[in-house]
Amino acid sequence: MALPLEALFLFDVAALLGVYLIITVSLNIEYGYTGIPHFGKVLTVAGGAFLAGALPGRLGLLILQIFPPSEAVRIDCGVAAGRVITSIDEALNLYIPCNVGVVDWLNRFLASNIGFALTVILATLIAAGLFGAFLGFISSYPGIRLRGDYLAMVLLAMGEILRIIGYNYEPLVGGTLGISLPNVFAWAGGEFRFIVATALILLVALGVYLYAELLVRSPLGRLLRAVRDNEVTAESLGKDVTSLRMKTLVVGSAISAIAGCLYALYTGGVIATTYNRVSWTFWPWVMVIMGGTANNVGALAGTSAFVVFRQLIIFYKDRLAGIVPFNVVWLDTLILGLVLIVILLYRPEGIIPEKPSLTLRREKLLKLISASETKPRE
Amino acid sequence: MGLVEPLFRDAIIYSSLLVMLSTGLTFTYLTTRVPNFSHGSFATLGIYTTLTLGMLFRLNPYLSAPVAFIISGLVALTMYLAVLNPLASRGAGYLQLMIATIAFEFLIFSFINIYADYLTANFGAIVEQARTIFLRKLDLRVDFGPLAQVLGMRAAGLDEPAIFIIAPATTLASVVLLHILLTKTKFGTGMRAAIENPPLAETVGINVRRAYAVSWFISGGLAGVSGSFWPLAFLGGTETGSFLLVSIFAASIVGGLNNLYGAMLGGTVIGPAEILGTAELSSVFGSWIIPYRPAIPLAAMAVTLLFAPQGLTGMRWIHIVRLRGYGSSS
Repeated sequence: MALPLEALFLFDVAALLGVYLIITVSLNIEYGYTGIPHFGKVLTVAGGAFLAGALPGRLGLLILQIFPPSEAVRIDCGVAAGRVITSIDEALNLYIPCNVGVVDWLNRFLASNIGFALTVILATLIAAGLFGAFLGFISSYPGIRLRGDYLAMVLLAMGEILRIIGYNYEPLVGGTLGISLPNVFAWAGGEFRFIVATALILLVALGVYLYAELLVRSPLGRLLRAVRDNEVTAESLGKDVTSLRMKTLVVGSAISAIAGCLYALYTGGVIATTYNRVSWTFWPWVMVIMGGTANNVGALAGTSAFVVFRQLIIFYKDRLAGIVPFNVVWLDTLILGLVLIVILLYRPEGIIPEKPSLTLRREKLLKLISASETKPRE
Repeated sequence: MGLVEPLFRDAIIYSSLLVMLSTGLTFTYLTTRVPNFSHGSFATLGIYTTLTLGMLFRLNPYLSAPVAFIISGLVALTMYLAVLNPLASRGAGYLQLMIATIAFEFLIFSFINIYADYLTANFGAIVEQARTIFLRKLDLRVDFGPLAQVLGMRAAGLDEPAIFIIAPATTLASVVLLHILLTKTKFGTGMRAAIENPPLAETVGINVRRAYAVSWFISGGLAGVSGSFWPLAFLGGTETGSFLLVSIFAASIVGGLNNLYGAMLGGTVIGPAEILGTAELSSVFGSWIIPYRPAIPLAAMAVTLLFAPQGLTGMRWIHIVRLRGYGSSS
């Protein structure tokens, strides 16, 4: 059964929204609450995506090695690699040159065995989180003690490393040709894979959103704001600011790597050039600034506005082509640039500004104070 | 067979262009405290100026340098006057300003792409390629034969592309001129005062805003000139600027962002390190390493930050010399 085009479009918007929401929420924790100008978001997003390109296929083959399939292995590599693979060992070795053949073969098992597919998905997401955390640590280590704009430039430059490696080192994600991913949602059948994948993305996005909400309402959240607002004060109260900033970056990086991983699993392919600075660093920044920093609802608003707007331009490309005197592709960067400047000039706090942090209710505070006063001192 | 190895020639040209770019970036950073993310795009404007003048109007490609200086300078000035200055006067922090430069980069990028499409559609046959621009064929050649004869060397075939002379010469001239402007003129002294302490400079009657505006014009102009030379030596396109940005940042940071001369030093270090370093590494490890060239400025930057966070010019060299002196005496 085929889904109508409009439905697929809606699911696409929802999936993209979820992916970007995860990234903007993590950026909001890093920048909005802790004040770290993280201009290297692309590094960890690409890290997660590249991991999703490199790991699930090989992991699937390894699992099949432990639990061998009932039928004999026979993968036709077609004209490109020019041979037939007859064992899983061989498939592992030829994973990149015979990518499409091996992935097709794997998809049959993924389609028939939900448990197998879910194991692969879960393992990949966990691995992406760990890899992201590692990348966040490595990339921020040289510059974490720097301040403000200086740190921003360092993180931006560091963000480029992985794209260069991914583009040139074939065993990772197939270099310039890219790589196909095994269809880990194949068990849903046909186009319903997109619905399942979108549901998973939205579920993870919801989880991340709730985590961020709990985080910023906790004492840790107040500590993060304290570091942002006045580092010296925070330090004078015995807080290790450098280590806190480092930990924030590690957590934020892990989260955004999961977003990259989900996006790659959703699209079913990875090519290094997709993971560029504009799409995965600048756009999330635009969304956060548009929506309002240090405010998760703002991140949601900014992300929704941005994603829906862009997807609408893409969807109505053909109709716009008659009206705009140039290629519609450039229209979105043009409008986004203008909108961003206007927002910065006339509404710098974003669509939804930051709210003062909540304290306990007055009656409750008074009760607590009187309780501590009546308690005998030890 | 030229005077020097093509590799050294490329290294010299590249580092000359990088010095101009990183000097401009550091200049506006010193004045307005904004890391300019659209600095690379100013260079891309220069590339398209050369393409337009050289291919479309069949003019001498070096005429494009002054035109590019004015175009990119005016674009940078527009960004300062229309976006950055109003933002700063509304009390925006460095981050809002930085984001504004990104937004402006979006605009320049779109315009350049629309222009490239326009060129391809209307003058495709004349400009040949509007997205992969390589105009070495337009360059003049300088014959070093007579010089070699005077020096008593073999004279045949010693000619070099003019860019090999003009790029370093222009860089040197602009650096010297900038130095003279900042140290010998009244306006330059005012500019330095405006950098050191803006409120105090204002109280003694220096027009700080004008000084900053001039710095943006010069910075954009230098980037434009640098970009106008680019296609004569290297392959350029709509995205050249944003690729170059990483090297520009790295050069500025290696030199130390708080010093104009640091940027010059940084460009001089990073340029040859990128080109000669890649060649050296590929001769040791094999040619697979060549595409990893962009990693070199990043590595240089990381090492600098780990061991000399203030950059090369921020280091207390005298301190190190002293330490070593004590070490040997004890």
